[in-house]
Amino acid sequence: MPWKLLWRNVTGHPVRSSLTIGAVAVAVFLITILQAVTSGLSRTLDASAANRLLVQSAVSLFVDLPLSYQQKMMSVEGVEAICKWQWFGGRYEQDKGGFFPQFAIDPETFMVSYPEMSVSAGSYEDFSSTRTGCIVGQQLADKYDWEVGQSVPIGGTIFTRTDGTPWTFTIKAIYESNSPSFDEQQMFFHYSYLRESLEQGGATGPDGVGVFMLRVASGTDPLVVQSAVDEMFQNGPQRVQTTTEAEFNRQFITMLGDVPSLLRLVGGAVLFAIFFAVLNTMLLTGRERTRDIGVMKALGFTNRTTAGLLIGESVLLCMIGAGAAIGIGLALERPLAIATATLLPGFAFNRGTLILAAGIALGVGLVSGFLPSLRTSRMTTTQALQELG
Amino acid sequence: MQAAINLRSVTKSYSRGGETLRVLDELDLEIDGSTFYALMGPSGSGKTTLLNLVGGLDQSNSGIVQVGGEDLNELNGSELAQWRAENVGFIFQGFNLLPVLTARENVELPLLLAPLSKRQRREQAERALDLVGLSDRMNHKPRELSGGQEQRVAIARAIATDPKIILADEPTGDLDRDTADTVLELLQRLNRELQKTILMVTHDPQAASYAAKTIHLDKGKLGRIDDNHAPAGN
Repeated sequence: MPWKLLWRNVTGHPVRSSLTIGAVAVAVFLITILQAVTSGLSRTLDASAANRLLVQSAVSLFVDLPLSYQQKMMSVEGVEAICKWQWFGGRYEQDKGGFFPQFAIDPETFMVSYPEMSVSAGSYEDFSSTRTGCIVGQQLADKYDWEVGQSVPIGGTIFTRTDGTPWTFTIKAIYESNSPSFDEQQMFFHYSYLRESLEQGGATGPDGVGVFMLRVASGTDPLVVQSAVDEMFQNGPQRVQTTTEAEFNRQFITMLGDVPSLLRLVGGAVLFAIFFAVLNTMLLTGRERTRDIGVMKALGFTNRTTAGLLIGESVLLCMIGAGAAIGIGLALERPLAIATATLLPGFAFNRGTLILAAGIALGVGLVSGFLPSLRTSRMTTTQALQELG
Repeated sequence: MQAAINLRSVTKSYSRGGETLRVLDELDLEIDGSTFYALMGPSGSGKTTLLNLVGGLDQSNSGIVQVGGEDLNELNGSELAQWRAENVGFIFQGFNLLPVLTARENVELPLLLAPLSKRQRREQAERALDLVGLSDRMNHKPRELSGGQEQRVAIARAIATDPKIILADEPTGDLDRDTADTVLELLQRLNRELQKTILMVTHDPQAASYAAKTIHLDKGKLGRIDDNHAPAGN
């Protein structure tokens, strides 16, 4: 194989080659991102704990459950602990355009139910013992340069203070997570603080609990607990839907529709677009090279070599593009992971994603090079030489 | 003198628009080795077709095409390719250099098919370029050369593998008179000094006068063979 000729053919048309490489790079990068999102969703679901059940209203996630349900559910055999999760939906006063989730929880049962959390700064005990204390994720603290002891003003949108002032929480601890199902861009504070504010008239907002997390005792079948809880509230006052954490996350993700299928569809469309773009380039290249190929055949080169030149050129263009896309992807992995941590804690370019990107580029290159090489291989040497014009 | 090329009852037909066109018709021809031949005839007389058959670029429908003792009709596609690489050098009217390669790289191209080291290929290409007087242009790309220089690079490429036979299809067709004379003198030198058998298609009687003999084709048949007693021209 005349490798130098292959390389010169690629570099001989710098503008065309650059545009093709750029198109491949953009497409492969996009496919890589989509794949990272899809596999991130899978990882998030896979990392969900099997011993945690989530109880929400059977009507909708946006309908609160009565607080009294907690006591009743504690009587179900196999329920070891319960932690309330109440969506707060506030805005950080210093960054009203930004967003991060805040939840009111029960400090007594929260940390012990989520062993994937660990405190990296401050003290969980301080958080537990401080009524207006909060614990925030490490990425969130990094984003806003927060430190332990700092006050964080959060303006309420669902729960508003009657005097119009923002809620003020004091950071008592910062946590890290070792699981893609639990991200580091959240804030948690005492449910009791929220409740007391509502009861004392210091704030207004919905009365109840958004979601109860039930920790199932070791050796107990979560499905049995799940059925028992659902059955307990079958006749009201409000029916509940109990799901595993994985199922809850899956339902949350698909609230916007079948996201993985949508992403695969977009990825497939991008793949076809780039295939046609590269094929178009290679068909044009093949026609331009007919004369050269005829000359090479006359000199004694075989069809295999001349076909290899076209296929090699196509593969080389695509692989350079894929390499650029993978390089850009790896460079942007960390910022993208932080930017999407709230919605997609499992976002990452894993080895499978990178192999897929390289495989797609290789496949597009092979097929795009094969078609024009098939044409020139079918031509006799004299036919190829007659295309001189 | 031993015949280098032997054609016996060679017929070549093409199908065009549903009709069969017989380009060579029961042609018999014997070409001596180490001789410079010009091949002349009106358009459509079968000159280029004959050159293609002798060069193993195409195969006849019937008859025998024997070149250097090898019956080319007996060889399959890849055998023909290998035979061409080892036995024939081609010179085309349009030069047909690969535009992305330098002069030396173009000359090295057929040497990639020979069992030579990189250094040997380089030396052999440089010798061939030296022979055609282009030592100082070997790192130039075709677009940086004049027409005459391009054709001399093409000649260097044709002789790089040291083939016994050189086939030239209108090698001076795209050149002005003076440049054409330079190229023809070079071909004459290759014949005289290196004993190459040269078969050159041309429409130009002055170009043909550089050859030792002129073969005249007419309607696919051999007309006559002239002995050019003054092959040095004029």
